[in-house]
Amino acid sequence: MNQRENFFAMIEGKKPEFIPNSMEVYKSCILGTSITDSPLMGGVDSFGVNWVATKEGAMPEPNKFMFEDIADWKAHVHFADLDSLGIEAAAAKELEDFTQDNRNEQVVNVFSGCGLFERMAAFMGFENALCSLVEDPDACREFFEALADFRIACHNRFIDAYQPDVLTYFDDLATANGLFMSPKVYREVIKPSHKRIVDAITSRGVIFSQHTCGKCEEIVGDYVEMGAKIWHSAQSMNDLEGILEKYQGQLIVEGGWDSSGAASYIGATVEELIEEAKRCAKVYGQKGNFILMPTLLNENGNSLIVGDPRLEPMLKAFNEINHI
Amino acid sequence: MSKILEVKELVEAGKSKKVGAAVQEALDAGSQPAEILAAMVDSMSVVGDKFSAGEIFVPEMLIAAKAMSKGVDVLRPLMAGDNSASLGTCIIGTVAGDLHDIGKNLVTMMIESAGFTMVDLGVDVADEKFVEAIKENENVTLVALSGLLTTTMPSLKSAVETIKSCGLSGFKVMVGGAPVTPEFAAEIGADGYAADAGSAAVKAKELVK
Repeated sequence: MNQRENFFAMIEGKKPEFIPNSMEVYKSCILGTSITDSPLMGGVDSFGVNWVATKEGAMPEPNKFMFEDIADWKAHVHFADLDSLGIEAAAAKELEDFTQDNRNEQVVNVFSGCGLFERMAAFMGFENALCSLVEDPDACREFFEALADFRIACHNRFIDAYQPDVLTYFDDLATANGLFMSPKVYREVIKPSHKRIVDAITSRGVIFSQHTCGKCEEIVGDYVEMGAKIWHSAQSMNDLEGILEKYQGQLIVEGGWDSSGAASYIGATVEELIEEAKRCAKVYGQKGNFILMPTLLNENGNSLIVGDPRLEPMLKAFNEINHI
Repeated sequence: MSKILEVKELVEAGKSKKVGAAVQEALDAGSQPAEILAAMVDSMSVVGDKFSAGEIFVPEMLIAAKAMSKGVDVLRPLMAGDNSASLGTCIIGTVAGDLHDIGKNLVTMMIESAGFTMVDLGVDVADEKFVEAIKENENVTLVALSGLLTTTMPSLKSAVETIKSCGLSGFKVMVGGAPVTPEFAAEIGADGYAADAGSAAVKAKELVK
């Protein structure tokens, strides 16, 4: 099996030949979301929020809020005219060297950053956003519904332009210790709009991948119920073994890398990276629903973006032991 | 229900619109400002414990801190110059190279609710800035350093070293953040470590007593 065939065997709940890794299985596409959601290199986004480029990626400028009371969102939030953003040109540029042969080998994965909760926090800061969820849930729901309409329109443009196999939707809802908000608040305030986003993507025949960092295991079942087939950036503070077992045949867990452990420290050796990759393969990979995603930060930033000479020997060693 | 008990319950439930009036009613009923403040600090201690135990989440902790702040607003004019209930000044910031502020802000609220006067230096704070702030502020009893990324763990180490070797004394240094462990905190010479905002307030009080 090539990478694509192996991936679709996993999606269909069949036994793959090998444990894939996210760097080789996907053609990841990021330019569309850089235009509609969060500028990769920093700058003002389509809503007027200023993003600051950091080594680990862009983030909203700290302590600069567009509004502080969610009841005021309509006075401040203006949705861009999608015809004016150049999504199709960005997709064409990103795919210009990606041939049909490449499509037969790899999986096209379009990223969609800054999901419902992250966008609310980008507008009004995390503390204000989190308080709003419990202090004014009705205004939050109204905001999320309007934002979901916009995101669905963006996703439809991405799907038309990129013809992807997978769309990975990013919304960070958790810290390393647990969810930001209770599962009840998530389910009552965010999930209804979140589900509309999932439905709109899967109704186009595209696989929905949910990105949530941190300890979010309490709502992974909600993701599966809504139709997510992949949980992206699944971090090791969750019970990954239990989740892999519980959702075998329904959900691919992509992640595993201990991003707070020794293999993620500055100056970690190639041998330490290889040991971590082998640990992931041994502990998570044998059930056939795991993709290794090495979350490796170095002095220059996220290695997936800025590169790292340690990745190649690590992947080489991983690919020697990843057969199932 | 006594007025002070009512204040406690309102703070714990995060009823910021009602706390101010309840504090005023407690004062009118004869309670002393320091007594009411202590009751609110107790409430926040309960909130912190519940957060650390996973019984409540960040929003509930935030609205409780907001509610306490409303109550303190009523007491502040009456307690001007009275530092008897203060645990001193805490300098806090996210270390150099790290722009993340969510964890730091939550810890700030909880440590403030425990009775400290907070001086928040913000994010991406150079080591020397911490030292300057210790010099510039009165009665500094605690310095709290935050870092979210494994890549900024060396900055935590450097900040602790710089602060500890600056020649000033009378304060403790605590560290926290997702990649930080008790072992790492001890290795870099910090006096204390906390895993979350609730336990940070407990540790802060413990360190300065």
